[in-house]
Amino acid sequence: MPSIDSKDVKKIVVACDAGMGSSVMLASQLRKSLKGLPVEVEHTPVNSIPADADVIVCHAGLADRARASAPGTLLVPFQLFIGDPAVTKLVSTMKNGGTINA
Amino acid sequence: MPDAAPLPLDPRAIRLDAEAGSRDDAIRQCGETLLAVGAIDEAYIATMIERERSISTYVGEGVAIPHGTLAGKDAVHHDAISVLRFPGGVDWDGEPVVLCVGIAARDDGHVRLLSELAQILLDPERAKALRETADAAEVFRLLQPAADE
Repeated sequence: MPSIDSKDVKKIVVACDAGMGSSVMLASQLRKSLKGLPVEVEHTPVNSIPADADVIVCHAGLADRARASAPGTLLVPFQLFIGDPAVTKLVSTMKNGGTINA
Repeated sequence: MPDAAPLPLDPRAIRLDAEAGSRDDAIRQCGETLLAVGAIDEAYIATMIERERSISTYVGEGVAIPHGTLAGKDAVHHDAISVLRFPGGVDWDGEPVVLCVGIAARDDGHVRLLSELAQILLDPERAKALRETADAAEVFRLLQPAADE
């Protein structure tokens, strides 16, 4: 299982199908939550995840496509666009330090 | 007053007394409203329904944000949002939806508005205000990004 130390995370990518709706909303939330940390948050379509992404955040229903598009990159799947526990945990690990696991 | 870029929300794209018999009907109405303001080709509406069937756009607090697929992007003329309120509620795969924010986007014109919507949804009081208002001016006021006030 891939894992990464929070201080090595420079880019988090929120992936969705069209990059139009929910991923935009979640990316803006993540940006706000992680403000002040040296990490970039982007939103992109699931089939064009940039190669330098350290962590991918995407809806559980898109996880297979995200894995196929960026094999080997740590993936955090979520179910809820607002207030998902997996996303909350990612934010707290980024802030407090620690290891992020898939 | 700072000059904020206008929101991609046309007053004609706000309908606060809509009624829908089903989720797909509600999505179609969101799409037809985007069509009426010239933001999309009709073909986009089918991709909105297709997207909803793969992954729900329900985002919590009685709000859904239907939008098309990546393939549907070609049918978008300009970034636009429609706001439809269904006071009678719509069954959204078991979740009761009262407010739909339909999205058509080519670029990032809608990002500020979605970002503000996310902030509203994290605040149950403001979410309730948005769900319950029957006043289009109030919808504008609530969705206006706070930094521009």
